[in-house]
Amino acid sequence: MSLGFELKPGLMDRVYALLSLMDSFPENMSDEELEGLNIALPTDLRRTITAVMDPRYRDVSIAFFKAVSSWLTNAIEIKQKGGKVILVPFNFPPEALDIFENCAPITSEVLSTFGVAALEGQGEPYWDFAMGLGMPDSLCSANTIELGSALSRDDFLPDAIAQTAPGGCDVNSKIHEFVAAYLDIPQFFLEKPTENTGRGRELYNKYFHRLMRDMQEFLGEELKEERVRTIMEKANRCTELYYELWDLQKYVPCPVPNIFSLYTYGVRFTMWGTDDAVNILEMMVLKSKELLEKGVYPAPEERARSLWIYTGYYFDFLGFFNWMEENGITYLGDGLDLYFPAPVDTSSMDAMLEGIAEAAWNMPMTRQVGGESMLTCWLDDILHAARELGATCCVYCGHHACKQTWSVFSAVRNEIQKRAGIPTLCLQGDSWIRRMTPTSVLQEEISSFVDNVVDRKRRVRSKRRARSGKGIE
Amino acid sequence: MDNLLPYADGIRNPLLDQWMDEGGKVVGYSCVATPREILDAAGILPYRIRALGNQDKELADAYLARFNCSFCRACLQLGLDGTYDFLDGLVETNGCDHLRGMFENWQYVKNFDFFHYLKVPHIVTEESLEFLAEEMELYREAISEYFEKDISDDSLAESMQRNNRVRAKMKELFSLRERRSPGITGAEALAVILLESSLPPSSFEDYLDDLIDERREKKITGFRSRLLLAGSATDDLGLLREIEDLGGLVVADALCYGTRAFWNLPELEGDPIHALADAYLKNMLCPRMFDDYPSRLKFVMDAAGRADIDGAVLVYNKFCDLHGVENVRLRMDLEKEGIPVLVLEKEYGAGADIGRIRTRVQAFLERIGG
Repeated sequence: MSLGFELKPGLMDRVYALLSLMDSFPENMSDEELEGLNIALPTDLRRTITAVMDPRYRDVSIAFFKAVSSWLTNAIEIKQKGGKVILVPFNFPPEALDIFENCAPITSEVLSTFGVAALEGQGEPYWDFAMGLGMPDSLCSANTIELGSALSRDDFLPDAIAQTAPGGCDVNSKIHEFVAAYLDIPQFFLEKPTENTGRGRELYNKYFHRLMRDMQEFLGEELKEERVRTIMEKANRCTELYYELWDLQKYVPCPVPNIFSLYTYGVRFTMWGTDDAVNILEMMVLKSKELLEKGVYPAPEERARSLWIYTGYYFDFLGFFNWMEENGITYLGDGLDLYFPAPVDTSSMDAMLEGIAEAAWNMPMTRQVGGESMLTCWLDDILHAARELGATCCVYCGHHACKQTWSVFSAVRNEIQKRAGIPTLCLQGDSWIRRMTPTSVLQEEISSFVDNVVDRKRRVRSKRRARSGKGIE
Repeated sequence: MDNLLPYADGIRNPLLDQWMDEGGKVVGYSCVATPREILDAAGILPYRIRALGNQDKELADAYLARFNCSFCRACLQLGLDGTYDFLDGLVETNGCDHLRGMFENWQYVKNFDFFHYLKVPHIVTEESLEFLAEEMELYREAISEYFEKDISDDSLAESMQRNNRVRAKMKELFSLRERRSPGITGAEALAVILLESSLPPSSFEDYLDDLIDERREKKITGFRSRLLLAGSATDDLGLLREIEDLGGLVVADALCYGTRAFWNLPELEGDPIHALADAYLKNMLCPRMFDDYPSRLKFVMDAAGRADIDGAVLVYNKFCDLHGVENVRLRMDLEKEGIPVLVLEKEYGAGADIGRIRTRVQAFLERIGG
């Protein structure tokens, strides 16, 4: 099969090549076809494919991965046509660049995640390359895996970097800055002032407009109002669907499959405001409704409704999302789902740009640890989500690179217990690298927590209710 | 005047105690981005938080995590164990993510009556300079209101001139360290920095004058190599003493507890608040700033050239990513210029892993022929 360009050993090229294979998957792929396919796949990818091809949502997964493949194809084609590809961190809304005709955003953390999920050896060779340059091992693997690949120069390379993490995350900003210098490509800044009043917001707006002016100059392209409107109308549809999914998560047991959390922010960080995004989100809503109507839940009972307050783990989808579901542990989403999009006023160019700036201000990480108080801003979102979604516990994955959340986690856990009355499990690991804490250890810790704390509490409550004649929850 | 250098080994000193006994106020700050001039103009002693190599982090670790920088954990420990209870308030700046966590937890537990958060941008633009000027105005108002002190433009301008005068004298003293026969060691220079932000201003300035006079004629000999020390926040006298005991004299630095805090004299023209905002943001030679690496590299290269160094030691505390990444770039650029470099990742507090540090420094000194 020809990809139309020379395939390099870098992460993006390899991921693209693998995702291109999925383009030929039939939407209604049968179990037999899947079994046949799995024989040919290496172990890491086989586990990922097995996880995402769960019969309950196989069609959604196929559509999702095809859409991601299109997202990468778009970037490659834009570059081939002389346009520019901009590398962005996940806390930047892709529609802010998609509104330009000759520009495509690619997202560091999303690429790392796909590399970890799809490639044999996961992201480790790229991480190791960065370490080989002398980088500290406390960097964030979420971006350093992809950036390590870029640093090797043996990959599809961006034309510029949009630096949108200053103010929200030192480590993210610093490694992106290093890569821009190392590759000798320009970087454009959007700093988040750690100031939550109107003054901070006003400054952010000025920065945002400066970024838009810089991009127009870099791309040699004026923004066209109709193009912006078309994208923002689709972004608004995405927003509606985000809240439909949010509401569906409130049902007990939860009809929204665990992995849909990942798909939702996967869409947010790559294709928000596109037809593909609308299609995937609609499919997720329809599928969740269908599962709700049929009363399908993958375990005999829902034993825990867990809100993951930071991120999940991405090196073993099967051992993580699917394993939890099979054990009655619902994943109500994680910190990356907490961006609460708002509809954008599409009446004028100014209003639309203001809407995109607002979306950027509210992207995950930016709105929590980029806020005036990391403790308060993060906690507010957790408590809101926990109450709205009826969480019975919280889990902090303890991704070691996140110095901001680690620095206030202790206080956050105390406040969650005090204000929401639910316990929080603190794990330790690297969310994108399996070397630090293997799946089996994470599973043991989650099991112990759910068995001994969360589920015990639920059973005691149920017994009390039964004794008092109020029936079983 | 008596030798005050030993005072630098303590969190408190007799002159500071005397200041407080006489009713003087003391406000703590940590990051070099905090304009001391505004506190000084209010007659308040700006005290720079330090940990002095403190290795005990038991209380702090109940709040910060082991993935946070051990310098911040060591400072927080002293905040929580009561060592810093003499402070009348705290000023937070967003120097780095670890520092933000340190301040948030400190305030969460201790709840100071006066706690002000000064938000400092990470890039220099017209907009960020204007924002910082507003921040400084709010900072001035907060101090003025809480401590009931009027801080007029005139008193602020006067404080800025006084602080600039001290900076110029510090520069003169530190230049003595760069001579072929240095007049002051690296550890002594660090002690002076620590005294600057823990002594009443007039006492310090008098002492500085005496010290400069005394050290002009002094010639330190018997060392093996001339080193430049750069990297993370380093207030650890023990670390410098260890390096110098091994024969590597620190004749230049690019540290925030060092020349980065005073070398570039700010211009004082125009409205004092705007002049301060300009001076601080444009001279912040810290990797927390973006799009400004060339200035930081030039600062290091200039210092290396002036002091004619044999090698550079780039330190960073474990989990300090700002300096961890910056040091990679700096190492590449210094080595390109033929300067041998030792990158030293360490836990804060020289005693924490001193055996390993000694071995690495010794090996480096051997390598550079010292």
